[in-house]
Amino acid sequence: MAPSNIVSIRELSKVYQQGEINVTALNRISLDIQTGEFLALMGPSGSGKSTLLHILAGIDRPTGGTCHVQGIDLAQLNESDLADWRNQNVGFVFQTFNLIPVLTAFENVELPLLLTQMSGRHRRQQVSTALALVGLDDRQHHLPRQLSGGQEQRVAIARALVTDPSLVVADEPTGNLDSHSAQEVLTILQSLSRTAGKTVIMVTHDPKAAAYGSRSVHLEKGELADS
Amino acid sequence: MALPIKYNIRNVIVRWRATLATILGVALVVAVYMLVQSLAVGLEQSSGNTGDPRNVMIVRKGSTAESSSQITREQFRLLPYLPQIARDSQGRPYVSADVIVLINLLRRDLKAEAHVLVRGISPVGMKLRPQVRLVGGRWFDPGKREVVVSRRLAARIGHFEIGDTFKTGGKALTVVGWLEGGQSAFDSEVWMDADEARSLFYRENYSSVLVRARDDAAAAGLIDRIESDKRLPLQALPEVKYYSAQTMTAMPIKILGDFLATAMSIGAVFAAMNTMYASVGSRTREIGTLRVLGYRRRTILLSFLIEGAFLALVGGVLGCLLSLPMHGYSTGTISFESFSETVFQFRITPWLAAKGLTFSVIVGVAGSLLPAVRASRLPVIVALKAV
Amino acid sequence: MTTLTFITKNALRNKRRALLCILSVAVSLFLLVTLLVALREVTVPPEDIGAALRVVVRNKISFTNPLPARQRAVIERIPGVAAVSPFSWFGGKYKNEEMMTFGQFAMDPKLIRPIFGEAKMPEEQYQAFEADQTACIIGKLTAEKYQLKIGDRLPLTSIIYPCSIELKIAGIYEGTIDDRNALFHHKYLDEAGGSDGWVGMWWVKVRSIEEMPRVTDSINRAFANSSAEVRAETERAFQLSFVSMWGNIKILVHSICSVVVFTLMLVTASTMSMAIRERFRELAVLKALGFRRRELFAFILAESFGLAAVGAVLGIGAAWVFYTQISIAKLTQGIFITFEVTPKIIGQAALVAASLGIVASIAPSIAVARTSVVDGLRTLD
Repeated sequence: MAPSNIVSIRELSKVYQQGEINVTALNRISLDIQTGEFLALMGPSGSGKSTLLHILAGIDRPTGGTCHVQGIDLAQLNESDLADWRNQNVGFVFQTFNLIPVLTAFENVELPLLLTQMSGRHRRQQVSTALALVGLDDRQHHLPRQLSGGQEQRVAIARALVTDPSLVVADEPTGNLDSHSAQEVLTILQSLSRTAGKTVIMVTHDPKAAAYGSRSVHLEKGELADS
Repeated sequence: MALPIKYNIRNVIVRWRATLATILGVALVVAVYMLVQSLAVGLEQSSGNTGDPRNVMIVRKGSTAESSSQITREQFRLLPYLPQIARDSQGRPYVSADVIVLINLLRRDLKAEAHVLVRGISPVGMKLRPQVRLVGGRWFDPGKREVVVSRRLAARIGHFEIGDTFKTGGKALTVVGWLEGGQSAFDSEVWMDADEARSLFYRENYSSVLVRARDDAAAAGLIDRIESDKRLPLQALPEVKYYSAQTMTAMPIKILGDFLATAMSIGAVFAAMNTMYASVGSRTREIGTLRVLGYRRRTILLSFLIEGAFLALVGGVLGCLLSLPMHGYSTGTISFESFSETVFQFRITPWLAAKGLTFSVIVGVAGSLLPAVRASRLPVIVALKAV
Repeated sequence: MTTLTFITKNALRNKRRALLCILSVAVSLFLLVTLLVALREVTVPPEDIGAALRVVVRNKISFTNPLPARQRAVIERIPGVAAVSPFSWFGGKYKNEEMMTFGQFAMDPKLIRPIFGEAKMPEEQYQAFEADQTACIIGKLTAEKYQLKIGDRLPLTSIIYPCSIELKIAGIYEGTIDDRNALFHHKYLDEAGGSDGWVGMWWVKVRSIEEMPRVTDSINRAFANSSAEVRAETERAFQLSFVSMWGNIKILVHSICSVVVFTLMLVTASTMSMAIRERFRELAVLKALGFRRRELFAFILAESFGLAAVGAVLGIGAAWVFYTQISIAKLTQGIFITFEVTPKIIGQAALVAASLGIVASIAPSIAVARTSVVDGLRTLD
């Protein structure tokens, strides 16, 4: 049975205005991503890889072409629906972790669930499961400043997983980590793809990180380069 | 769909150093507002608290205060025989004619002067005012140049200790006792024998007449009778109503309080605005993250409004606490009605506190409105890229 | 680029914050000036040159007690006395108004010019006033407020005399400190008010300044031990005694001013501190480039001073313009006559602004002094 394409991109363009100049971040890209892939998006700075990531995660809109995720044309969703869609279907991991400083690890992971109708008990179960998955259930009540960089990123991953999304999107997830923590994080991402069947899309400029992926794609000046 | 309250509260607490000045600013605004308004409340309460509901006060038509009213002997003679007036066991009507005189006396510090209200009163008059009790010394003897002064007034006017003598009109008066008016207008008075007062101050006429009606219906009837009599240029109204209508002095204080609070709060709003802008500025990435997770714009807006309101509310509570020690503090000023020294207390009521707190919340919301809108309008990607 | 433009550019980097700072200072200083001016108006009656030679004689018990009319002859005989007129406050409410908005005084009309010389009115109006016992003259402010002209009627109901009267306006005067009062014939009051034989006070004009103390003293002694002892004092002393009646209100307003100043300092200082802290990194960069601490302090001080100064000019200037242009008598319906923004008050407000500028720079200066270059550069605010 052929694995289906979870992401289907056709002629995708993104042009934005910087002062008086029009900048083309993405130039008519077409790409298919299969369910369960661990895709590494690589390229030099300014190549448009982050832009592409943002579009397929539903936090930016294309100016041309289409982007279908799980059969849904994201451009057709209004802002409200897009927000809901993100909440349910995408987990985002940032280079700078982006945990809320005043909330504990547990509360940070719980944040996406507060937007659902889940009961308190059910939420707590989900959060515990997610934290256990990344090996941090003993640090639930710590604040981000009490955690190391690697631990913070793992909490962030737990947060990204807690709604059980099919898509996990990571923007330079190891950029701010030492090599040991980086390894831990990449291993977790890898297992998400291999064991849990999630589609993981990672932006990175580091070939060693990209090696954890199942496929690499290169972008240069907004276009796919043949790798 | 809202962010948990603990998020907002913790954010305020965590930034306490930066927000302390704003909180203090709001606290001071609220404290000033409460203190000034509590003056007005105290004034109103003291006059609102005066009088016995069974009594009817009669003064000259057009007079706003007993001290400027005059009732001639002829006019007075017609009154005791009115049927609505209650009588005692011996059949004597409960009617009392008082003489009010304002005299200049030195304050306790002996530096400035004050106008003090002296009431020449009869034994019946004292019976009609059960609110007033003797708390030191004794009552004055009729026919003697003796006075009983309000204890609270004694704290502000010189030579008002029991046993002291003071001079007015060239004659000496001796203080033989202290009275307590039960936190009413009587706390600002000096009492002496009515006939002595009339002879001392050369008064032919009375100032006011106080009567006790048999019952409520009789009181209404009495008031009607007097008001409609063309021969008598007098007005009658229930004693309680007469005193509670004397709010002229409280008004300018209230206006002052409102003006001050409004003006000071403009500064506080600017401060709150700055604080919240700084807060938004340092949490830009956080806001972007929340949006990515699926939180709506209006949730972000509401969240910052709540934070601003909470911040200001803390200031408001602090302000209330700051003003609390003044509750019950006795002070005095010149009344615009009677032109005499009026003693009253700062009165901080729960209602006033509620107003102060509401006020602080309004300041908080007003100050955080623009920053909250800004926070909610931040484009997600820009926010995420923030340093 | 000079140092000044550098500082200015820095201050305006975050225009919104600079604007908020300036507005905060301006509003608070406007309020402060308003309070100071109101306080001064209430506690220091305006200097009245004409009052220098006038003495007010009232009943020693209190001015609410009347004086017998026969005292006039006695006072007239005292050497040094140029003129004596009865002076009784009518205490009337105009038409149906709730509150009294201007004073009315009964006096001897022939003695207006000798005693009340600073009033300016055409000769024929003086004559008309003297001729008609039911006539009165009113001050320009009152005439304007109620749009009254010569020949109009002035109905008044007294709260102390048992009567209502209607006077005919024979003249409108101006040029005195308080152009609100109405003056009418004492004889008319004697008849209408049923107070024949009694006056409220005596208004005495003394021949010269040197004779003032002696005349005042003589008047007091003339009636000592009589049935109506008097207190004679200069008109100014009389006005000031009113002020002392306010008692605690002065203290209250003073305290409020202090609180306002303090709140202002606190709020604005913290705002400015925040603004400067925001730019720690820049200051660290400057430090790295070789600027000495002294110079950084100077930058900070100059910026906070500058913001305070602009706010001060705005706030104090606005108050000055507003109160000089607007007729405060009209605005407050005659509760306040003049709202004079004196140089002293401007100076006080400017001083507050200056201290503000200094206080606001303290915290950031300390922080800059303490932080090492490295930490400063690392600041991610």
